[in-house]
This record gives sequence, C-alpha cells and structure tokens, in this order.
Amino acid sequence: MNTLNGTITTIQSHEGISLVKVKSGNTIFTSIVLDSPETVSYLKTDYPVKILFKETEVIIAKDFNPNISIQNRILCSIQSIKKGVILSQINLVSDKVSIKSIITSNACNQLELKENDTVIALIKTNEVSLSPND
Amino acid sequence: MIDLEPLWLTAKLALITTIILLTVSIPLCYWLAYSKFKFKAAVEAIVSLPLVLPPSVLGFYLLLAFSPKNTFGKFLDQYFDAHLVFTFEGLIIASVLYSLPFMVHPIQSGLKNLPISLKEAAFTLGKSKFTTLTKILLPNIKSSILTGIVLTFAHTVGEFGVVLMIGGSIPGETKVMSIAIYDEVQSMNYYTANVYAAILFSFTFLILLGVYLLNNSFSKTNPLND
Amino acid sequence: MINFYTHKMLQTADGKLPLDVSFTVEKGQFLSIYGNSGAGKTTILRILAGLTEAEKVDIEVENEVWDNSQKKYHLPVQKRSIGFVFQDFALFPNLTVKENLEFALQKNDTPHIVAELIELMELQSLQNSKPQNLSGGQKQRVALARAIVRKPKILLLDEPLSALDDEMRFKLQDYIIKIHQHYQLTTLMISHTIAEIFKLSDKVIILDKGKIVKEGTPSSVFSEEKISSKFKLTGEIISISKSDIVYVVQVLSGNNIVKVIATEDEIKDFRIGQKVLVASKAFNPIIQVIS
Repeated sequence: MNTLNGTITTIQSHEGISLVKVKSGNTIFTSIVLDSPETVSYLKTDYPVKILFKETEVIIAKDFNPNISIQNRILCSIQSIKKGVILSQINLVSDKVSIKSIITSNACNQLELKENDTVIALIKTNEVSLSPND
Repeated sequence: MIDLEPLWLTAKLALITTIILLTVSIPLCYWLAYSKFKFKAAVEAIVSLPLVLPPSVLGFYLLLAFSPKNTFGKFLDQYFDAHLVFTFEGLIIASVLYSLPFMVHPIQSGLKNLPISLKEAAFTLGKSKFTTLTKILLPNIKSSILTGIVLTFAHTVGEFGVVLMIGGSIPGETKVMSIAIYDEVQSMNYYTANVYAAILFSFTFLILLGVYLLNNSFSKTNPLND
Repeated sequence: MINFYTHKMLQTADGKLPLDVSFTVEKGQFLSIYGNSGAGKTTILRILAGLTEAEKVDIEVENEVWDNSQKKYHLPVQKRSIGFVFQDFALFPNLTVKENLEFALQKNDTPHIVAELIELMELQSLQNSKPQNLSGGQKQRVALARAIVRKPKILLLDEPLSALDDEMRFKLQDYIIKIHQHYQLTTLMISHTIAEIFKLSDKVIILDKGKIVKEGTPSSVFSEEKISSKFKLTGEIISISKSDIVYVVQVLSGNNIVKVIATEDEIKDFRIGQKVLVASKAFNPIIQVIS
C-alpha cells in the first residue's frame, strides 16, 4: 500500500459523495469518497490526512501528457525495478516521496522501463482512500 | 453360650449415631463450605479436635460435664430429667461428638470440590438454597456422603476410650463389643474374647467392602465423584 | 432498559484494581463486553446477576430496583429475571439434558417451554443423555436452553463460545441470535472475538483495567473513521504465502475467507492470527445476485 501525507485543500460534496483534493508536496491528489463533511469529522480544509492507494492500481505511462480521464498524474523517476515472472514491481520516486507500482512483467518489457527513466504514475480518483492523520 | 447383646448394642449405637450425625452434618457442611464467616477456622478446628485428642480426654470432660454434681449435669437432671452418665443416651451424645469429624470432613470436601457454578446456576434458575442442596449438591456428592456414613459407623463401632470413661460396662446399657472384649480378656475368657473379636473384625470388614464396591459403581456413573 | 452502575475493589494478580463502571442497555439490545482478561468483565455480569456483591452498586431493570447500596437494597439472585450461561456450562451432572431443563421450571410453569426449547435448540436426540456424554458445543446448547426456560428478561453470557472450535462457534452464534430474537431478550455477552461481536451485537463496551474506555456500535468502536473506505471487514490472518513478487494474505472474517495481495514490505508487519481490517473503496466490488 502506498501511503502519502497531505492536507485537504478543497472538498466538493453532493448527495453524500465528495470529491476531495489533497496536497502532498507539490502534487495535488483527487479522491472520491462516500462521505461528506457532515458524516465524518476529518473532511475539512487544512486537515492532515493520509493518501492511500494500492500498488496494483498505479498505472505507468511514458507519455507525459496523455489525453485520458485519469486525474492523478505524478511525474516520477524509476529508482529500481524488481522483476518477477508474471508481475514486476516498479519503485518510483517523486519529490523525495516514494511510490510503488505493480504491473505485469509483459507491460514492463513492452514499455522498456529501466532505472532512471522518467515516467508518469497515474491513479484513478476512485482508487484513492483517505485516512485522518492524527 | 456367647452373649450377643454387646453386638446388638454396638450396632444400635453406631446406627443411631450415624443417623444423628448425617442430619447434623449436612447443614453444618453447607455452612462450612460456603460461609465467609470470620471465625470459621475456629469452628473447623473444634470439629476436628476429636481426631487428635485422646478419647480418654474427651470422655473425661464429658464425664465431668454430665455428672449430676456439676452445674450442667444438675441442670439436665432438674429440667429434663436426663441422666447421661453411664447410660445409653450419654453414650450416643459422646459418640456423636467423637465421630463428628468422620462425617463432616468427607461431606465438606465433597461440597468444596463441586464447581461453585453448579450452586450459582441453580440460584440463577430461581431455586432456593434448600432445593439446590437436596436436588443438585447432595446427589452429586453421593460417594462423599457414603464415605462419611461408613467412616462414622465404623469409627463408632470401634470406639473404646470414650465409652469406657462415660459409659462404663453396664450389660444391655453401655457394654458394647469393644468393652465386652476387654472385659473377657481381663477375666481370662480368651475363647469368648476371640469370638467377639472375630465377629467385630468380619462385621467391619464386610461393611467396608460393601461400601467400596458401591462407591466404585458411583464413580463409574459420575465423573465428579472421583 | 437496564441502568447499571457499580464500584468495586477487585483483587487481581497485579494487586488491587478499582472496577468503576456505568452503562445503560436498551430493552432488546445485544450488548457485548470486550477487554483484556482481568479487566472486570465477568464481575460486571456477576454483579448484575446478584452473584457478587460490590461496595457501591445501583441497578435498575425496567424501572424495578435490583440493587441500591445506598438504601442497602439487594434483590436476591433467585428473584432476578435472568438467564446466566457460565463459562464452564455448569450443567448438573446428576440430571439428564431434559431434567436439566425441567429443573429450571418454576412452580406454576407448564412444561411446554421445555419441549419448545428442546426443539428450537435441536436437542431431541440428546434429551436423555447425561451431560458428561455431550461434546462442548452440545453442552453449550443445553446451557443456553436451560437459561431460557424461566423466560428471563436478561440473558447473560460469560464467554460462551471461547472453548469451542470455529465451526461450532459459528453454529452457536446462530443459535444465540435465534434465542435472542425469538424470546425478545436483552442480552449481555462477554467476548474476545471482534468478528463475533460484529455479528451478534448492537452495542459494545470496551473495558480496560476496570474502566469503560470506549462504547458504541461495533463498527464505530472498532473501526471509527480510521479510513474512508466503505468496503471493510475485520478478521484474522490465517495464512501468508508468496506468489511471484507479491504475497497472498488470507483473512478469515466470520466464516468467509478473503484473499488480499500484499507487498513484501507490508508482510513484514503481518503475522498469522493477527486481527486486521481489510478495506477497499466502495467503487471496486461488484455485486451479483445468487440464484
């Protein structure tokens, strides 16, 4: 599980569903949650939260500005690659924060990923969980 | 001709003593097993005294107490017309006191060994102390009760010192088997003494044998009584 | 409704510990008491049942006073409308299963309830057996049935399922739910198992060193606002196995086993038997109708 620290910057709620923007370092993450400021106490601006997402949900792209729906885009460089038969773990670093991605080894080969490559990590909004950081 | 009266007298004494002790000991044991009374230890010590005290000491004190010359004996004589020295009644009282620990100890430890939750479960089911005792506790300590009965009976059959002190050797009144044997030996009637001794020996052995047989069958059907 | 307050000095292995507890239970509620051993859980049930005395105690059940130490009032255990299931079952060894149940009948009760409970708890084939011939789970069913014969208002369960294996445990949880609902009881249960508390109770009290440290619904108490994920379950790790460069962690929750992928770094903190929260976003799971 990837865990990043951040603070809430904006909250947009409608009928119990909220789109939350969280700033971590220089990156803004967007998360969608089935909560609203009325139902949980931590949903307020400037509240410190943890941004959580699973390694297997991190998509890697070599194109720096893809025209796709994914909102969370982090510019990273590849620190190391751990290759398995089926799966490979890509250890990324961005702004001193490390992020891990697990993709298939086929995809890893196809993209010809290697250490020190600059790539974009993409995470769908609905894959990001939040947890109050207190 | 062998006089069998001492045998009947012994049996009668042991039987009455056992019945009295059983009735007295059950409530006493319930109290000893569950009470939180501060001076319970003192009561337990008194109950156990006859185990260690020479029978002659107990007999001597009872003789003094029952003697019509002393306050208690006089009181008994005046208000109840009771004469307890050198009588069968006096012998019963002495035997009850003397055999008390032999009835109390097995029953008390039987109750103590039962899980306390049995008693508490019966209480939570709305049952009184009496119902709990008669329907739950006692049926689960059958072998302890049996042990108490037998030990008391056998111990009363075998008592000598106390009887000698408080009862003497009055034929048909206080001359029990153990005394009769002693008398016969004193008078050099070894044959009669031998017959008495043999009767007492086999009588006691048969009782104990019966009890152990019965007890084994209890423990087979009830794992609590082991 | 039960209003309960007590203060009692407990003698524990680590010296004296004051038990100081106050709580209320609504009629028909299922309350679990959770906490370390020696925290005073059993003492609370025993005080409520009237089996243990306390220095200060104030108990009111549906506007009827059961205990009031100020007025020196103590309703004897026999008069309290309770059913108590002891940790050691406390079945009477001299009576058969049926007789154990019949013993609980009061003077004017009809024996109808005994037959009803024997059927409800599926004890028909055991009714003439003595307790020593029963398995742990069977004993527990008898103890549960016996506690209900009086049709009590309150059912008190002292770690009823701790001695049983998992399969038996799940079955008995269902019996407990059945009894609780069928006889409209207010139930207080001591339990060490979070999954069990989630499955059975409406409310839970966490007791630590004689004090209530948390109370509320099981989900608010055990996973309060810890994570925004809505697809959550608590369980126990039952196995961790390597699979390529990742690990598959099996978690048992209730009687379901779920599998979750974890990285090598994560499994360093995991061990078999550990209680864990498994969470996923509400957006991920798919629902299929079981035909």
